[in-house]
Amino acid sequence: MSSTIPWSAGVSVPYVRRYANAVKMTETATPLTEVDSDQDVISRVIAGDRDAFATLIGRYSDPLYRHALGMTGSPDVAEDILQTSFIKAYHHLTEVRGRFDAWLFRIVANGCKDWLKNIRRTHLSYDEDDQPSGFASPDEDLDRTELRTDLDYALAQLAPSLREAFIMKHVEGRSYEEMADLLGTTVGALKMRVHRAREALQALLEEKYA
Amino acid sequence: MMLDPNEAQEGRANAGRNPEYRDAAGDGSQADRPLADREVPLHGMLPAEDGPALALNQWLDGDVTEADARRADSKQVELWNRIATETDRRKRMVTPAYVAANIMAALPEKRVEAQAATVTATATRTTVAADTERGLSMNMALAVGVGMFAIGLAVGKLVL
Repeated sequence: MSSTIPWSAGVSVPYVRRYANAVKMTETATPLTEVDSDQDVISRVIAGDRDAFATLIGRYSDPLYRHALGMTGSPDVAEDILQTSFIKAYHHLTEVRGRFDAWLFRIVANGCKDWLKNIRRTHLSYDEDDQPSGFASPDEDLDRTELRTDLDYALAQLAPSLREAFIMKHVEGRSYEEMADLLGTTVGALKMRVHRAREALQALLEEKYA
Repeated sequence: MMLDPNEAQEGRANAGRNPEYRDAAGDGSQADRPLADREVPLHGMLPAEDGPALALNQWLDGDVTEADARRADSKQVELWNRIATETDRRKRMVTPAYVAANIMAALPEKRVEAQAATVTATATRTTVAADTERGLSMNMALAVGVGMFAIGLAVGKLVL
């Protein structure tokens, strides 16, 4: 049944592995493998193996970059937030309790929210140079459709909490349970946010596209 | 719709899982919470979400088939299929390679735990302050000694 839903494909696969395969990373100096748990890697970094941290960047940078990009609408800002978050994580590794990916996600998500608070503007700039980049192939990057621009604009109209829920569900492909775990809220509330986000996007886009 | 007193929001992580915290939050915090979180749909009682909208959301959530959703509202299904082509494209986006390199380049050679660094900095400040105080005390004692000696000499001269 779920196979008919365009964005549900692959949700059941642990995203750590899924994204780890897709990332193009700088080579690590130490022979860490994909099967090393986050905790193993963290222990090595704490013990002084700085290069092992690249493994963690490789595992999690892509989903976090997509999140930051979806929230801010600016590749430059998303890169800055990602960089700051990883550096902060590096300096506080001994404070990790539980899942590293969830802990790191919260750092990035808070970075996005802080940025949104600081800019104090109701919509983002949609200059051509400020459009999201980083698509897998140059063709995709060139194929900037009108829908893409309109969707960016519509997403920017949403309240941050609705935008966050929509991005996590439809762009990051997370399940409601996973979202609830990461955001510290309930599945019911997140369903409500996603439904409201869809409703708002639909209202903004249906006249042109439906 | 109904109010959901068990709901948490940003900045109140785990509130929903902790009964004590949850109860303590009570109704008083309702006003502080985003409006979007205050209403939770009850199954079968969805005045705001009528048949087509409900079917559409259920399809987008993977609960019913596209055919079911089309029967309810084929126009919106078309719209969401178009949106899906764009969101699918975004799912394939990767971090620019230089970002990872920049992060690694920005990391110090030797990792210093932030808290430890703070403690060290505080300790350094304390030591410096203590040293400074000790230096001041020595100087003051010396000055007092010299003063006493001078007064002693003056008194001695007067007496003799």
